[in-house]
Amino acid sequence: MNTFAINAEELTYRYGDLTAVDHISFHVAQGEILGFLGPNGAGKTTTVKMLTGQLRPKEGKATLLGLDFARQPKKIQAQIGICFERTNLYEQMSAKENLELFAQLFGVKPFDADALLGRVGLTGRERDRVATYSKGMRQRLMVARALINQPSILFLDEPTEGLDPVSAEAIRNIILEERQRGATVFLTTHDMLEADRLSDRVAFIDQGKIVALDTPHALKQAYGKRRLLAQVIGSDGKLVGREIVLDVPETPDTVHQLFSQEQVVTVHSEEASLEDIFIQITGRGLV
Amino acid sequence: MNWRIVWTLVRKDTKLFFRNRFFAFVSVLGLFAYIGIYYLLPGSVDETIKIGLIADQIPPLFEDLQEEGLELMLLDSEAELEQRLLNGDITVGYGLPDDLMAGLLSGSKQQIKVYFSYDFPEELKDAYIILFRELVFMMTGQELNVQADEVLLGQDMAGLQIPPRKRMLPLMAVFILMIETMGLSSLISAEVEEGTLTALFTTPMRARELFVGKGAAGAGMAFFQAVVMIAATGGLRREPVLILTALLLGSLLVTGMGFLMASGSRDLMSVMGWGILAIVVLALPSFSVLFPGLFTGWIKAIPSYYLVDTVHKVINFGASWGEVGINLLALLGLSLAFLLLGIVTLQRRYR
Repeated sequence: MNTFAINAEELTYRYGDLTAVDHISFHVAQGEILGFLGPNGAGKTTTVKMLTGQLRPKEGKATLLGLDFARQPKKIQAQIGICFERTNLYEQMSAKENLELFAQLFGVKPFDADALLGRVGLTGRERDRVATYSKGMRQRLMVARALINQPSILFLDEPTEGLDPVSAEAIRNIILEERQRGATVFLTTHDMLEADRLSDRVAFIDQGKIVALDTPHALKQAYGKRRLLAQVIGSDGKLVGREIVLDVPETPDTVHQLFSQEQVVTVHSEEASLEDIFIQITGRGLV
Repeated sequence: MNWRIVWTLVRKDTKLFFRNRFFAFVSVLGLFAYIGIYYLLPGSVDETIKIGLIADQIPPLFEDLQEEGLELMLLDSEAELEQRLLNGDITVGYGLPDDLMAGLLSGSKQQIKVYFSYDFPEELKDAYIILFRELVFMMTGQELNVQADEVLLGQDMAGLQIPPRKRMLPLMAVFILMIETMGLSSLISAEVEEGTLTALFTTPMRARELFVGKGAAGAGMAFFQAVVMIAATGGLRREPVLILTALLLGSLLVTGMGFLMASGSRDLMSVMGWGILAIVVLALPSFSVLFPGLFTGWIKAIPSYYLVDTVHKVINFGASWGEVGINLLALLGLSLAFLLLGIVTLQRRYR
C-alpha cells in the first residue's frame, strides 16, 4: 500500500467522442502542494471531478489516502475538501448557515463557524445572506466551506480567478496555512505565478495529457534559460540593452567584460517563467 | 441510512422553501384563500323546485305537489315569468290558458307554454313537459293505471344533499398538495441550476439520504397544509385517522410527481409549466365530485382519483376503512410507484 495522498493511474474521461482526460498518471505526496496547470479546456476540472467523485473515470483508477474511489467514495469524501471552480453556495442562506449546514453533513462537532469565517476575513458579515456578497466574499466563503472538515486533501479549482488582489492574497495565505497543518493541496490554476509561488511541484496538462511534472525549479532548469539583462550607455549616449546567458562556461568572462568595458546603468537577472516553459513544451499559451 | 443527515436536509429545505418568497406567499395565501372560499360557499342545498305559473289560480293537483318539494309561484305576466326565470328565482315556468280546466273538460286541445332559461339541461326539459301532461291526465280523471314504487339504493340523501363547499374539499386538497409539490420541484431545480446539489454529493451524504430528505420535506409541507385546510373546514370530524392516512398517501404521491417534474425541468419556468399541466390533470377527478356523472370510468386512470374519492366518501358520506380500503391500497401502490419512478429519473438525470 502506497503512502501517497493521491495516486492516479491511467485516468481517462470522455465526453462523447471528445477525450477530455487521456490516460494520465501521477501521484501527490502527503503534505505536498501540486499545481495542476493548463489552459482552459485542457482537462483540469475534469481531472478534479474524477478525483473528487463527481465523475466516474471511463478508464483507470484513483486512490486517495490509500482508499480506492470506486469502492469507498463516501469514506474518501469525508476526508477531502473541495473549492469548486463555479461558486455554488446557498444564496438565500447566510454564510454561517451555509457553513453550519455542511458541518452537519460532515458530522463535525463541535463546529465554530464564526472562527472559520474570521479566518477567511468575513467577520461582521456572518449573518448576511450570501446573495448580498461580492465575488471575492463568495470565493472566501467557498474556501471556508472546503475547510470545514479539516480535510486531509484540499482540492482548489481556480480559487483566485477573477479576484481582487487582497482576496487572492488572503486565499493564497490560507493555502500555505493548510500545507503547514499537513494537508495535501491539489491546486488547479492557469495563473503560473501563483502556481510557481505556492506549489512544491507542478504538472502541465494540455489536451488531456500531462506533458510535464516536476518542481518549478527543476522545470526551469530543464527548459528555461537564466539571463542577465543590463542597460549600458552606448557610443551615441543613448541607452542600449545587453543580454548575457547564465550557466554557460563563458558567462564569467562576458560578465567581466560588461562591467570593465561598458558604462552599466542597470542590471538584473531574469529566469524563465513557468508560462515560458509551458509555451516551449506545448507550443501554445495558457489562455 | 444516516438519519442525522436526512434531518439536516429536511431542515435546510424547509428553510429554503420559506425563503422563496413566491412559494411562501402562495402557500400561506392559498391556505387562507381555500378556507375563506369554503366558508363563503353555501353550506346547504336548496332542494325545492320553484315553478312559476301564469294563471288566475293554482290548478287542482298542482297544490298537492307543493307537499312533494315543489314551490309554486303565481305570476301576472309572461314578462314577469321570463324575468324571474332569468334571475334564477324559478326553475321552470308554465303559461296556462285562463280557462284551462273548462277547456280540458270540453275535450278541446289546450295550448300551454313551458319556459326554460337558456342554460337549462336539455335532458330535463322533456321531464317537465311530461310532468305537466301527467298532471293533466290526473286532473281530467284519466290517470294511467300504473303504480310506481320507489326503490332507493344507498343512503337516502333527500334533505341531506352535499353542499357545494363540501364538494369543493377534495379539489382544494389536490390544489394544496400540488402547489407544495411545485415548490419542492423548484427547490430541486434551483439546487441543480446553482450547483449546490454537486456540493452536497461531495460530502458524506448518500443519494438515498438526499431523496429521503427531499421527499420528507416535500411530503411533510404538503401534508401539513392539507391537514390544516381539512381541519379548518371541519373535515376531520369523521374518521380523522382515515382522512390523515389518505392525505399522507396523497402527499407521497405528489412528492413522487414533484421528483418527476424536477427531473424534466431546468428552471422555475419549466417547473411552472409541468406543474400547471399536472394540476389540470390531477384536478379532473375532483370535478366529478363537483358535477356527478361528468366523467366515465376512465377517470380512475388518474392517480388522484383514489385520493379524491376517499376524501369525498369519508367527509361527505362517513365511509369507513372497509369501504375505502381498495382506494387506499391503490393510492399506496401509486404513491410508491411514482416515488420510485421520480427518484430513479432524478438520479439518472443528475448523477
